[in-house]
Amino acid sequence: MQVSARVWRHFDVWLLAAVAALTIASVAMIQSAIAGNESLAEAVPRQMIYAVIGLVVIVVAAAIDYRFWSAIARPIYVVVLVLLALIMAAGFVGFGAARWFNVGIVNIQPSELSKVLMIIVLADYLARHQHEIGQFRIFIRSLILAAVPAVLVFLQPDLSTAIVLGVIWVALTFASGAKLRYFLVLLAIGAVILVLLSPLLIDYFNGPYQAGEDFYFVQRYQMQRIVSFLLPDPEAHHGESYNVNQAKIAIGSGGWFGQGYGHGTQTQLRFMKVRHTDFIFSALSEEFGFVGAIILLAVLGFIILRCLRAARMARDQFGALICYGVAILLLFQSAINVGMNLALIPVSGLPLPFVSYGGSSLVANLLGIGMVESVILRHKRIEL
Amino acid sequence: MKLLPAEGSKIPTWRMAITYAVMAGIGIAFAVRLFNLQILQGTTYLEAARENRITNVRLPAARGVIYDRNGSLLVRNLPSYNVLVTPAYLPDSEAEIETIYARLSELTGVPLVTSVTVPGARCRDERGIRQLVEERDSIAPYEAWPVACDVGETVARIIREQQVDMPGVSIEAEPVRDYTTGALTSAILGYMGPIPESLKDTYEALGFVVDRDLIGYAGIEAAYQTLLAGSNGFKQVEEDVAGNPLREVGEVTQPTPGYSLCLTIDTRLQAAADSALRNQMEWVNWSSGEADRTPLGVVIAMNPQTGEILALSTLPTYDTTRFSPFIPLDYYEELINDERGKPLVDHAVSSTFPPGSTFKLVTSVGALNERVIDPNQTILDPGKITIQNAYFPNDPGQSKDFVCWNREGHGRVDFLHGLAFSCNVYFYKIGGGFPGEPIREGGLGVNDLYRYAHALGYGAPLGLDLPAEEGGLIPSTDWKRITLGESWSTGDTYNTATGQGYVLATPLQVLTSAATIANNGKVMWPHLVDQVLDGEGNVVKEIEPCVLWDLLDGVITPVEEIGSCRDLPESITDQLEERESTPDLDVHPEVLELVRQGMRMVVTEGTAEDYAQLDNISSAGKTGTGEFCDEVASEQGLCVPGAWPSHAWYVAFAPYENPEIAVIAFVYNGTEGAVTSGPIVKQVLEAYFNLKAIDAARQS
Repeated sequence: MQVSARVWRHFDVWLLAAVAALTIASVAMIQSAIAGNESLAEAVPRQMIYAVIGLVVIVVAAAIDYRFWSAIARPIYVVVLVLLALIMAAGFVGFGAARWFNVGIVNIQPSELSKVLMIIVLADYLARHQHEIGQFRIFIRSLILAAVPAVLVFLQPDLSTAIVLGVIWVALTFASGAKLRYFLVLLAIGAVILVLLSPLLIDYFNGPYQAGEDFYFVQRYQMQRIVSFLLPDPEAHHGESYNVNQAKIAIGSGGWFGQGYGHGTQTQLRFMKVRHTDFIFSALSEEFGFVGAIILLAVLGFIILRCLRAARMARDQFGALICYGVAILLLFQSAINVGMNLALIPVSGLPLPFVSYGGSSLVANLLGIGMVESVILRHKRIEL
Repeated sequence: MKLLPAEGSKIPTWRMAITYAVMAGIGIAFAVRLFNLQILQGTTYLEAARENRITNVRLPAARGVIYDRNGSLLVRNLPSYNVLVTPAYLPDSEAEIETIYARLSELTGVPLVTSVTVPGARCRDERGIRQLVEERDSIAPYEAWPVACDVGETVARIIREQQVDMPGVSIEAEPVRDYTTGALTSAILGYMGPIPESLKDTYEALGFVVDRDLIGYAGIEAAYQTLLAGSNGFKQVEEDVAGNPLREVGEVTQPTPGYSLCLTIDTRLQAAADSALRNQMEWVNWSSGEADRTPLGVVIAMNPQTGEILALSTLPTYDTTRFSPFIPLDYYEELINDERGKPLVDHAVSSTFPPGSTFKLVTSVGALNERVIDPNQTILDPGKITIQNAYFPNDPGQSKDFVCWNREGHGRVDFLHGLAFSCNVYFYKIGGGFPGEPIREGGLGVNDLYRYAHALGYGAPLGLDLPAEEGGLIPSTDWKRITLGESWSTGDTYNTATGQGYVLATPLQVLTSAATIANNGKVMWPHLVDQVLDGEGNVVKEIEPCVLWDLLDGVITPVEEIGSCRDLPESITDQLEERESTPDLDVHPEVLELVRQGMRMVVTEGTAEDYAQLDNISSAGKTGTGEFCDEVASEQGLCVPGAWPSHAWYVAFAPYENPEIAVIAFVYNGTEGAVTSGPIVKQVLEAYFNLKAIDAARQS
């Protein structure tokens, strides 16, 4: 693993600049969004520390030849499974839905890291079997590879991360060239399962749901979120759709140029909940308006495009899939988060990459960017 | 853009293309949605954000108080203490919350949980503390809501001291009406209640707060609602999501306190009237051996020269002290269920009864003024006259007997004796005519009875400043044809001439007819408010007496000018407008003089001689025994023709020479007017002149 100084001339400065800009904007926006809530006051310095750590992570990850990850893909997979199993065990031991490991002063959220690590694992498997990608066997094995951690995450229960892992698998197998009809078969199986489940679901909504009980592995609040999105109650002011409505009001009241930094009333007077995490896009849209929101989306789009560019430039399939995987990870999480802020899709706990408060997510995403940089640095087969 | 995969990379180009397309699709969708929310609907959401943080605060205005004519306070405002809970400020721990609930329950007596599940209005909720708080927590967690109302000053003070240990609990002092005279004046003052759902929009537009502000439901409280209430102040406060006020926005409009009222009522006379009526009704029930022989009675005293109501009492009534700060359901149901007495109805103006012989005043004025008779000519009263049926003149079975209350008959009587002894046959004959007597053909007749009744105040509301005044009923030929589909008969005229048959009147109208005769033909606007005072007690308006119309001035007052001298805000009363034609007539002065003489003779030698004569004061009056047949009497089989049950009426004024007080007493099912109601009026008159002497002595 030698780092040639010459490869650094390929370093994608634009990508780093865009990511850095978003991270800095994120800290500023979190500062505004905590709106004087003292219990959240430490979020700002924390996010700054994570940003610095993340910057180091990018440089280190870029310096490490990405093919090294391919070599240790199996140990990585084991680490992912152990971490997820541990957190699930912690959850069973009576802390309710645990998603964090409390390590000293920082909480580590393994599921965030698992998203990036699973990109490596799946990219490695699919790249190794590139020549037989057309076979159903490979398709199914890759599915099982992804499904094991996805189920573990689902049982935490963390529905949204499980879906992210699923999407990463779909994206990577799709990009590898798996036959489209395999996806259709899978879809058909899913539909059949849904039909078989429907009597159970109907029973559930007629009885246990009303009584506040869970639906097997899916917790009631998750069912509730789906219900409140599909069938919003127009009367509910403080009910289930409260936060979505408040976010809509926040975004809508932004107008062209916003209320100004620190002057969004929805944010500053705390009508909106979870302003610094799930709904930071709404806070930003309120304070910076249509122009600010479009600029944010443009920068995010630019970062994703640079990752996809790297995927096309990569010298091998493994590198290409890593870049593609990171791009899809960012794209999907951004789309889900922004879509939720805009009340286009149900509320889920997915953060907005680089912007939402949350160290594990930020560091994991920056690790992904570092790996993409690593691929770009080494995209020429022979470096003279 | 060149989409060819780089060397070594095997991501198919078209799959990359799909990725870009999906991305572009998402980007466009988001941009469109943002544009829609922020630009197209921006103003809507900006307004929604403003509504979120701006709270309109209505600053409560102090309601005006009410005095009687001597300045004693009848209604004042006292603080009532409510215990409020703000669900969001309660501690996190369930155990601590339960401790607070238990402590509140112990202090206020409100149970934690009751079997009631139906929500009630603010302060009228019968659910327990825990049920209430849990519901409010899901509706408006940051809003303080009462869990116990009117807890008393001691409990309020204890909770205030312990507030530190009970986060989320607070005390609110709310002004409530205190009716110092209670049931004695409830028929006049009325009571207050919450703004009903149906009027919510109207009152909200006026700045009232539904669920907080109360409005008058009856009596003066209702009639003068707009004056008494004042207007709420207004300010806008910016609040955060927790309801913490941050700053005031815009200008503050201070509340305008309501006007206070000084009534024409003399509480001392009111008390005398009330107890005279009460005692007499108890005596009627006791002497008849039936506990509920008479379900209700009315006394009104008025200054005939000014129209000022000096006392107004109806029984049964309700205790307004029990109505404040809110009306207890069981008590309210008890009142509602009294179907005969109807305590919540102001029988003085809102109920109508057959006036009986008191109506002969109308027949008298009419017959004399229209020169139907010569008052000195005598007419024969054989005790009974018979009218042949117009269609079967020779069939005795179809004819109808009209009897005098004295079956022996009064023999030959002139006008004064006819009135003094309330001789029915005399009034039948002059009212409807009788062959062979020196009476104008057809007597006074139905049309003139109708006109003269209206002239003396019957047939339409008089505009007393109380809500729901009834107009009564004076029948006419058209009325009978339209309502009953029958032709008018002579018998109907006979009945009308003696205040029977279809005639219905409020006690106030009967009083007004006598007061008008006493006041020499001037029909005074009856009123209850003497002065309007501002919040500081300065008189801002003196209510002057108003002549509705004058029978002797030789001028016919047009209907639209009637009541135009009433110097009151428009919102107070508009009941006079029910009249279609003017009741004013041209009456000769000597007619009223003669009727007054007759009324004097009622007291000196007539029907009221033994019951209503005063020792030192000369009074004049008219008795009435209004026969009726209501459902109760009908069920008991009492409606025997010629011996129907009857209401007892007596109306009088004094002194005879210069009347300054007119009084009416009415006892439902009280039998003889003179016997039952005469003594009531007599006691009120005595009380009036005693009080007058006391006041005069005090002044000198």
